[in-house]
Amino acid sequence: MSDVIAPIQLQVIGAALRSIAEEMGAVLIRSSFSANIKERRDCSTAVFDEHGRMIAQAEHIPVHLGAMPDAVAAVRRLGLEAGQVAILNDPYTGGTHLPDLTLVSRTALGFAVSRAHHADVGGIEPASLPAFSHTLEEEGVILPPQLLTDEVLERFVEATRQPEERRGDLRAQLSAHRLADRRLEELCARRGRDQVAAAMDELYAYSERMVRAAIAALPDGRAEAQDVVEAVDGDVPIRCTVEIAGDEIRIDFAGTAPQYDGNLNCPLAVTKSACYFVVRCLTEPDLPASGGAFAPVAVTAPAGCLVNAQPPAAVVAGNTETSSRIVDVVFAAFAQLVPAPAAGQGTMNNLAFGNDRFTYYETIGGGQGASPDADGPNGVHVAMSNTFATPAEAIELEYPLRVERWELRPGSGGAGTHRGGDGVVRELRVLEDCRLSVLAERRRNSPPGRAGGDDGAPGRTLLNGEEQPPKLTRQLHAGDVVRVETPGGGGHGAAK
Amino acid sequence: MAILGVDVGGTFTDAVLVEEGRIRTAKVPTAPRQEESVLAAARAVGADATELERFAHGTTVATNALLERRGARTAYVGNAGFEQLLHLRRQTRAHLYRLSAQHPEPLVPLERCFGVRGRLGPEGELEPLELDDLPELDGAEAVAVCLLFAFRDPSHERAVATELRRRHPGVHVVASHEVASEFREYERASTTTADAYLAPVTVRYLRALVAAAAEAGLPEPVVMLSSGGVLPAGEAAEHPARLLISGPAGGVVGAGLVTRGAGFEHAIAFDMGGTSTDVCLLPGGRAERVSEREIGGLPIRLPSVDVHTVGAGGGSLVRRDAGGALRVGPESAGADPGPACYGRGGGPTVTDANLLLGRLPEALPGGLVLDRDAAAAALAEIDPAAVVDVVNAEMLRALRVVSVERGHDPREFALVAYGGAGPLHACALAEELGMEAVLVPAAAGVLSALGLAAGDERRDRVVSHVRPLAAVDELPPDGEADLRYRGQSFELPVPLGSGLEERFHRAHEERYGYADRDREVELVAVRTADVARGPEVELPSGEPKRASGPALVELDGSTLWIPPGWEGVRDGFSWVVTRE
Repeated sequence: MSDVIAPIQLQVIGAALRSIAEEMGAVLIRSSFSANIKERRDCSTAVFDEHGRMIAQAEHIPVHLGAMPDAVAAVRRLGLEAGQVAILNDPYTGGTHLPDLTLVSRTALGFAVSRAHHADVGGIEPASLPAFSHTLEEEGVILPPQLLTDEVLERFVEATRQPEERRGDLRAQLSAHRLADRRLEELCARRGRDQVAAAMDELYAYSERMVRAAIAALPDGRAEAQDVVEAVDGDVPIRCTVEIAGDEIRIDFAGTAPQYDGNLNCPLAVTKSACYFVVRCLTEPDLPASGGAFAPVAVTAPAGCLVNAQPPAAVVAGNTETSSRIVDVVFAAFAQLVPAPAAGQGTMNNLAFGNDRFTYYETIGGGQGASPDADGPNGVHVAMSNTFATPAEAIELEYPLRVERWELRPGSGGAGTHRGGDGVVRELRVLEDCRLSVLAERRRNSPPGRAGGDDGAPGRTLLNGEEQPPKLTRQLHAGDVVRVETPGGGGHGAAK
Repeated sequence: MAILGVDVGGTFTDAVLVEEGRIRTAKVPTAPRQEESVLAAARAVGADATELERFAHGTTVATNALLERRGARTAYVGNAGFEQLLHLRRQTRAHLYRLSAQHPEPLVPLERCFGVRGRLGPEGELEPLELDDLPELDGAEAVAVCLLFAFRDPSHERAVATELRRRHPGVHVVASHEVASEFREYERASTTTADAYLAPVTVRYLRALVAAAAEAGLPEPVVMLSSGGVLPAGEAAEHPARLLISGPAGGVVGAGLVTRGAGFEHAIAFDMGGTSTDVCLLPGGRAERVSEREIGGLPIRLPSVDVHTVGAGGGSLVRRDAGGALRVGPESAGADPGPACYGRGGGPTVTDANLLLGRLPEALPGGLVLDRDAAAAALAEIDPAAVVDVVNAEMLRALRVVSVERGHDPREFALVAYGGAGPLHACALAEELGMEAVLVPAAAGVLSALGLAAGDERRDRVVSHVRPLAAVDELPPDGEADLRYRGQSFELPVPLGSGLEERFHRAHEERYGYADRDREVELVAVRTADVARGPEVELPSGEPKRASGPALVELDGSTLWIPPGWEGVRDGFSWVVTRE
């Protein structure tokens, strides 16, 4: 324990910092306008210290887990003053993919961060999730780290398809930051700035100790695994080597395919998030989120490979789809050393509809992989996402869409000593002409089972009954029905 | 005329009898058949020998049946294509990092989830209803019916429910518009299903209780609802999903009574028991209500007092984790073996820490002598002051959730402390939050029962709109409107009356830091309630007393700890503790 702060002060201040992060998240979700944030909760909020280390995070979805520190590092170089807010979405300087707008503000002590997935950022297709982008520019407006002035905000929202909604969502993000500023100031006034700073140090050190202790309890060893993502022209391999050594873990992606001309590329920040997610599942799943938890984990990948892409590679599907596969391949390597679950559905089944009048985006849950001691849950988001389904009543009141079916897909989970979870079937009918984009995975390759368990069934996307490729962007006409059958999870252990 | 309140808890059943400014209390062990404990408690407090104006009751029958999955064999009928809604929920997983964690099992298994063709959309019928689709019920005792857009047009649901009732007269049928006519199908379906699932059990219990009361010469009981209002037992049984936080609601009503009785305007209720703690904001001395809460992992979309619960209390176990941090709860020593100081081999708890700090008497009322050596041995090298600080940090977080995080400054509130452990911790918490006064009722250990006795009779109604506020012609004069900017998903409740739209803008600004007067305002729902005031409860005044901290004051079912620098005055029914 630190000798400058009493343990109790530490726990009191730690609880206060977590409340600040959570309260920011609540304000953002409750006052925002796009379904992505308000219904699906595709957003995260966090409190960082003066050194740019993450101290407390309100977690809604894991893909933001490891990717925020890079955003703060990028913004620190701008030299913000207290009360100022910076914005960015550039995946190559602190962002993830362009729809995730990150705001970073300077508080009385450190930084507050919010990241939210906006429904449209002005890419070549509505919802800014084009299936066939080749460069980052095609995916939307790129915002390198910069001060968020009224002018920057206006210029950005005017470049998007629904400026009113974007303005509303950014206002919601800004109110979360104003709140964080106020709360940090109150906390420093009440507890003393030095005490709060000392508590931040100790909270970081505490989670590092916890995770080191958990890693040390795992057997040392080294293992490799390989899997693929389904690019338009064929499968692209991802290879990783994991190593447990004492109280540290190293994960390296040497042998992974080079970045390519599609949009499944990942910036390293997203790759790190996926690796941190796996380590967290295998070590301390209940620990409050703090950057210290990831200090014992080193993630490396050759520059210019699929999972450490360099500009101007397109990345929009890296955040949702490649990140899912990184989780699978890292779990597969660890499974040779420690007990680990079979692969889950391995995709977020991104579905976007839109025209000049509306943009609607959703992701669809599927089967979770079975664990060594339990069946995989049915019909859930399995890895880097955990967003809510938008109610059919909310969709139909607001968009020219009708939900025709949402049910489990029986038998899609792999058999085994423990069964993989089942995927789901979801059907949406469009009521006016619009564009459709689908970014999905595990259509050509099944989610693998583990330890003799069967694979889960691969997913399918159908348009008016006709099977479609894993990625597509095309025109729809009023009355068309899109049916998505999501993959099942892999089974664990040979079926009896 | 006297009024009687009987509150059933997990370990004890409490009774309070108020008669002409005198108050009597009693505690009896809770028996497996709750109606027996209720009657036993009523007799113990002398109610059978008194003419009663009201017999009020707080029950855990519905809550326990839900948490322990002892409800009826239930079927579910939804739209074809949406049969499995209860199993799909909102597609989120149960734990972000424990990948095999399962949500609590839905109340209806897949094989009893059925679909019926026929579909309504936001503008009306899209496809006619096919009553021929209705299933055989596979021996179900209850059926929940939830069809899309029934909150706007209940015609399909009504037809289905009527047909099911005709075909299966012995089966309890509930349609979603009858219990929670609100927007968002999963939450509505979950509420309707819980209501159907709990009905047979709750009806059996309340019937038995009414019969037993009549036999004992007591009036028909009124039952406390989650909303903080009461209804006659027969009516309460119609929709048992309304009873899920009956007991805590009683406590909150009691805290309001105490607040107003002591002449305070705003208060925060703080009920710290053995395994959990409930806190609730009482602006103007009355509880705020919310329209949805989660119970046992299931969303219940019904009005309830806005109680926030944390899993720590006096009996919470204390340990040190691998990173060296002190942890309190959520595991509890329970009533048996209880804290280490009960001398029955229990582990170290918050109660043990309080004992070692000299904040508990040597023996509990009822005669249990507390074993200091056992407490010291169990806590070993852990500093008892640190234990109290850590549990207080949890309590502070809960108090902040209901005050600061909702835009209220706790310094304007009094802290009403009750429950077995509340009055032990209250002054330290008030100090941290800058609160001026702590209010501790003399009957701190049985305040819930007192609150039951005082509850208003209350019938809540909701009408769903989901349309522009400007398009709505007439609104009732009293009640609340759920409003939002068009395009948002969360509503703010605003009291009905003139200037509604402007008051919404202001409420939004206060809550979220901005208002947008150019944006269309949408009316999602209107909530009204018929309220008949409960009986006037005349609280007894004890002898005026005074105590300067450090001091221990023994109360009925609880102990008040006044730390140094604080001073308590017993004035009327309650102790008022303030900084010197």
